Amino acid sequence: MKTEKKANITTIPFLGDIILSGSRTLIGIALGLLTSGILIALSNANPLVAYGAMIKGAFGDIYAFCNVLVRVSPLLLGGMGVAIGNKAGIWNTGIEGYMYLGAIGSGLVAIQDWGLPSALHILLAVIAGMAFAAAWGLIPGYLRAHRGVNEVTCTIMLNYVAIYLTNWLVSDAGFFAESGAFFPMSKIFQDSAQLPILLRGTSLHPGVFVGIIVCLIFFFLLKYTPFGFRTRMLGGNPNAARYSGVDIKKQIILVMVLGAMLGGLGGAIEVIGLRHRVYSDFVTGVGYECIAVALLAGGNPVGVIFAGFFFAILKVGGATMSIETGVSSSMTSIIMALCVLFVIGVGLTDNHRVKKKSNKADAVAVVKQKEE
Amino acid sequence: MEEPKFALQMTDITKRFPGVLANDRISLDCKKGEVLGLLGENGAGKTTLMNVLYGMHQPDSGKILINEKEVEITSPSKAIELGIGMVHQHFKLVETLTVLENIVLGIPSNKVFLDLEPIRKRLLELCQEYELYVDPDAEVWKLPVGQQQWVEILKALYRNAQVLVLDEPTAVLTPSESDQLCRAIRRLTSEGRSIIFISHKLREVVEITDRVTIIRDGKLVGTIPTSEATQAKLAHMMVGRPVSIDRRPRQALQQKKPVLVMKDVNALDERGIQALKNFNLTVHAGEIVGVAGVDGNGQKELAECISGLKKPVSGTISVNDTLITDVVADPKFIGFIPEDRQKTGLVMDFSVAENLIIKEYDKEPYAEKRLLNLQNIKKHAQDMIKKYGIKTPTDTVKVSTLSGGNQQKVIIARELDSEPILDIACHPTRGLDMGAVSGVHDVLMKERERGAAVLFVSAELQEILALSDRIIVLFRGEIMGEVDGDTADAFTIGQLMLGQALEEKT
Ligand SMILES: Nc1ncnc2c1ncn2[C@@H]1O[C@H](COP(=O)(O)OP(=O)(O)OP(=O)(O)O)[C@@H](O)[C@H]1O
Ligand SMILES: [Mg+2]
Repeated sequence: MKTEKKANITTIPFLGDIILSGSRTLIGIALGLLTSGILIALSNANPLVAYGAMIKGAFGDIYAFCNVLVRVSPLLLGGMGVAIGNKAGIWNTGIEGYMYLGAIGSGLVAIQDWGLPSALHILLAVIAGMAFAAAWGLIPGYLRAHRGVNEVTCTIMLNYVAIYLTNWLVSDAGFFAESGAFFPMSKIFQDSAQLPILLRGTSLHPGVFVGIIVCLIFFFLLKYTPFGFRTRMLGGNPNAARYSGVDIKKQIILVMVLGAMLGGLGGAIEVIGLRHRVYSDFVTGVGYECIAVALLAGGNPVGVIFAGFFFAILKVGGATMSIETGVSSSMTSIIMALCVLFVIGVGLTDNHRVKKKSNKADAVAVVKQKEE
Repeated sequence: MEEPKFALQMTDITKRFPGVLANDRISLDCKKGEVLGLLGENGAGKTTLMNVLYGMHQPDSGKILINEKEVEITSPSKAIELGIGMVHQHFKLVETLTVLENIVLGIPSNKVFLDLEPIRKRLLELCQEYELYVDPDAEVWKLPVGQQQWVEILKALYRNAQVLVLDEPTAVLTPSESDQLCRAIRRLTSEGRSIIFISHKLREVVEITDRVTIIRDGKLVGTIPTSEATQAKLAHMMVGRPVSIDRRPRQALQQKKPVLVMKDVNALDERGIQALKNFNLTVHAGEIVGVAGVDGNGQKELAECISGLKKPVSGTISVNDTLITDVVADPKFIGFIPEDRQKTGLVMDFSVAENLIIKEYDKEPYAEKRLLNLQNIKKHAQDMIKKYGIKTPTDTVKVSTLSGGNQQKVIIARELDSEPILDIACHPTRGLDMGAVSGVHDVLMKERERGAAVLFVSAELQEILALSDRIIVLFRGEIMGEVDGDTADAFTIGQLMLGQALEEKT
């Protein structure tokens, strides 16, 4: 063995990794969009026109873009909730449920007329939402850690429980539901509990910034703190983690509860920022989209930001696309799914190929060295 | 047409990884029916060369000839097709599947339903033929490592391998299992198959091989017929200087201060079978107690109980009067080199630097004010790499890219550098080259002189005899006998290992 220095993209530790994994993701997304383009063409629309409409729908004017920003907020928070689980080797697929619980918790506070200053009322509502979600997340966390119950089955089952719990609360619970409403919904939130609108004429609330900041905080936590080290160690090799003195059970519960709190925060912000009531079924699959966001991001917090925005753009632009070109509105979900699949697929095959290629380049360099 | 003479020829194979030239124009060949030894220090590039042969890596340049015809081996399945079989240094079995299922895995089949019966029959025939007995229906994780090794070999034979690569097969075998393997190898070569045998145990190499190829630092040193080789000569060629692992001179223990005290400990293994029976043991400061015994007689559970990874069913264990009730992860208290480095000792996806602190990541100076101090972590890694001679391009590469022996050195550095009160070393030299083994012996002797209590578990009698002040022999979870290190001989210990009590005891 002979060690030698040489500039090669794969050897630059931090940047090299990002460039490599970033470019892989982009290739995957490109393939996903290409394949979806074929499907769009098959449904009798011009894919270029359709994608054009999508871009216009997302970036066409300030209102459209604000819409993207509003949609991205729960995706960032929920996506981060799943991603932190991924890092610890846990599939926390309960985001949907945590969002409902977060909405309920914050809603219970937000409908009260306590005459509080707005900042305080909002804060209390958010805390209540996160606390409810945390308690909810404790169930699968405990079952997984102490009883070895599979967390995926468990959280998905609990999602249904959360949905029905919400339905009951907003239709039959006198203290919470709006009486005589045309659609099951809670009482309206107090003005003091509503997040400020940042741009008049839009519904832009600060949720997106909270989301970005949370992702950055978790990026930092995972990389630079003992907590992050422990979490990554648990994900990397649970046996070694135990051997190193990590209380694995505690850590599993902690990570699941943290994920739940992030989901709950997402749900809380969604209702106090945008809807101002809790409606039945108001989350409709966002929790599952968060899983896709985390997948696309490969569990990386900074990746979550990009993946979240990508999905939000697809969702907002997709609506325009479907209106303007007549392709089915479920095309958006298909595009999302295909992109995730291709990104995962490229990641798997590419590991092998990139290595081979860089080795070839190295070999050429060696030959050159020898000739000199 | 004339029968080709060479089963395998590799010429001028070059393989580089980012920052490492692992193979630098290495050539070797292997005749039909021949056992070729492949020797070299940790990180010399043996495994890499064999992975190139097995299609796991593509060489940057060089030629491979099978039966004197040039071939391109693009994948392991291509290698298998060409009659190449490989038993990896770290097994590649699916542990939750049964032996039979592992054999079947990866065999191309165009049937919808798999008929296992003929496969089972063939497997049993192979077991008989080569005297490598395994239960086809046992789940792999429940098998002792030795038998897992048989499974790997049988898997290759089932695919009718003509060239079989064994990458450190005996590192995990007991002496009698090694003999069994030698017999199987002889049978294989008598059928005209060729074996490439990688090992750090020179005695075996001298015994079993016909020729030996030696590499150092990724380069070919030379190939010599085994008849012209002695252990000393091979060691010299490998390391570049003479090495030995003889018993070191030592001073007798002055006073006896008990450190590890185990009283009436009973423990179960992971299958729920009793692994330690009413176990009593005291290890004193400044003493090396060697634990000999055939693998699987309670050694693993003994170590796990002391380190707190396993809870005994009854009995007490204390270290310096502190009762062990939970996992001890303080390397200033107990240093624990676990038996299975990849499963327990390392996080393969972590860098070398991170692996060096997995027990102390939350303590100063690696963590300050609740933040990791990456600079200190890096500095520590660089110190350790230098001090323990870990071969790695940088401290930031994943530990999984290190050679097997160098992974082991990472663990040794982490566990012993902070001067624990008690050292538990389970097979610490497994997979290490001669030079490194002697280095570990130096380290353990220094630990002894420093006043640490050392529990040294090993399957290598020679090493046990070289290091121990006292030797205990485990048999079915009990101490079969205890002998003094200065006067012990291999014969007595061998008897005890087989469960025959010493005369004065009976
Ligand atoms: N996948 C990889 N990526 C990067 N470097 C690697 C990789 N595999 C091996 N290396 C490097 O190549 C060198 C040779 O390693 P190899 O595993 O072939 O050694 P070895 O002779 O088998 O040693 P040991 O006796 O310890 O098993 C080492 O320095 C190792 O760090
Ligand atoms: Mg090796």
